[in-house]
Amino acid sequence: MNPFASPVSLNMQGQYNTPNTHKYSVILPTYNERKNLPIIIWLLAKVLEEHQLAWEIIIVDDASPDGTQEVAIELARAYGEDKILLKPRAGKLGLGTAYIHGLDFCTGDFVIIMDADFSHHPKFIPQFIRLQQAHNLDIVTGTRYRSTSTPYLSETQPGGVHGWDLKRKLVSRGANFLAATVLNPGVSDLTGSFRLYRLPVLRHIITLTQSRGYVFQMEMMVRARALGYTVGEVPITFVDRIFGESKLGADEVVGYAKGVWQLFKSV
Amino acid sequence: MARLQRVSIYSSILILIYLLVLFEALPIPFIDASVAQEILPVIPWWLLVSFGSYSLWSLGWGVFTFRDCPEAYHELLQEINEAKNDLRSRAVTVD
Repeated sequence: MNPFASPVSLNMQGQYNTPNTHKYSVILPTYNERKNLPIIIWLLAKVLEEHQLAWEIIIVDDASPDGTQEVAIELARAYGEDKILLKPRAGKLGLGTAYIHGLDFCTGDFVIIMDADFSHHPKFIPQFIRLQQAHNLDIVTGTRYRSTSTPYLSETQPGGVHGWDLKRKLVSRGANFLAATVLNPGVSDLTGSFRLYRLPVLRHIITLTQSRGYVFQMEMMVRARALGYTVGEVPITFVDRIFGESKLGADEVVGYAKGVWQLFKSV
Repeated sequence: MARLQRVSIYSSILILIYLLVLFEALPIPFIDASVAQEILPVIPWWLLVSFGSYSLWSLGWGVFTFRDCPEAYHELLQEINEAKNDLRSRAVTVD
């Protein structure tokens, strides 16, 4: 379809002095995020309006008992019903199905997935978009482990993590080394969940993924690479657990190793 | 074909060639037979040790170059405050 004849482009003409006629949908799965949700929406709206992008945020709430949905409705009233879409679900059904549910309501042609707990900062989204447009990439992912982006983009800052002690860093590097050796994914941060996808690419990959939890994020990336989609990386800063301590148990480590083995066998 | 199957096939072929050469069923051109017989039995251990030292170096370097970002944390706290004030003025409940 001619991008200059899309509804977004026709509506934007004469309003914005921008060459970017794409619409960006952000899918935010939430569970008990009553306190964080307004602030993350505020940050997202601020960044996206500053860069004059057509945007929408789809909040997929899994029947939170703390009133997340009420706050979402207030935000929709404040920012516009067309910008903030609340699409609730009946129960806590998991991340992968939350994305699938959100995708049904997407009217954009790019989808951004991220966490709603301040670990992913919206200020990196324009960098993702810039990199995607510069190299016509299918997927752009945020990486905590690199200082420069691949392919190179001049405005990126080095990535990093706040709130991790030495042991946690060692575990993280070890896990990444294991996944990189076994799966050779071509990205430096495999478990990251701050990504920009082209809509048809996300639809395609998500129908193929079978695992759950953070192995789900790994599987999406590995499958994308196996299918030949182009991937770029932008360094991001990751502020882990802004309220509280970051914990990683032995069960999770075993689960992770099992997940890597499953991917090795199936992709 | 899944990665497991690809890796299994390649490694089986390489191991087969290695065993054939080790048991002198296949000759190696341009290298003295005596020299080859000294080097070949050691190759698997050499691979193991090389992989081990590469892994150790990779982990150590990775942990050494792992960046902390305290400035991102402070910036985020400030933005949270700013957001809360702005949202209160827009009739959204924060806290």
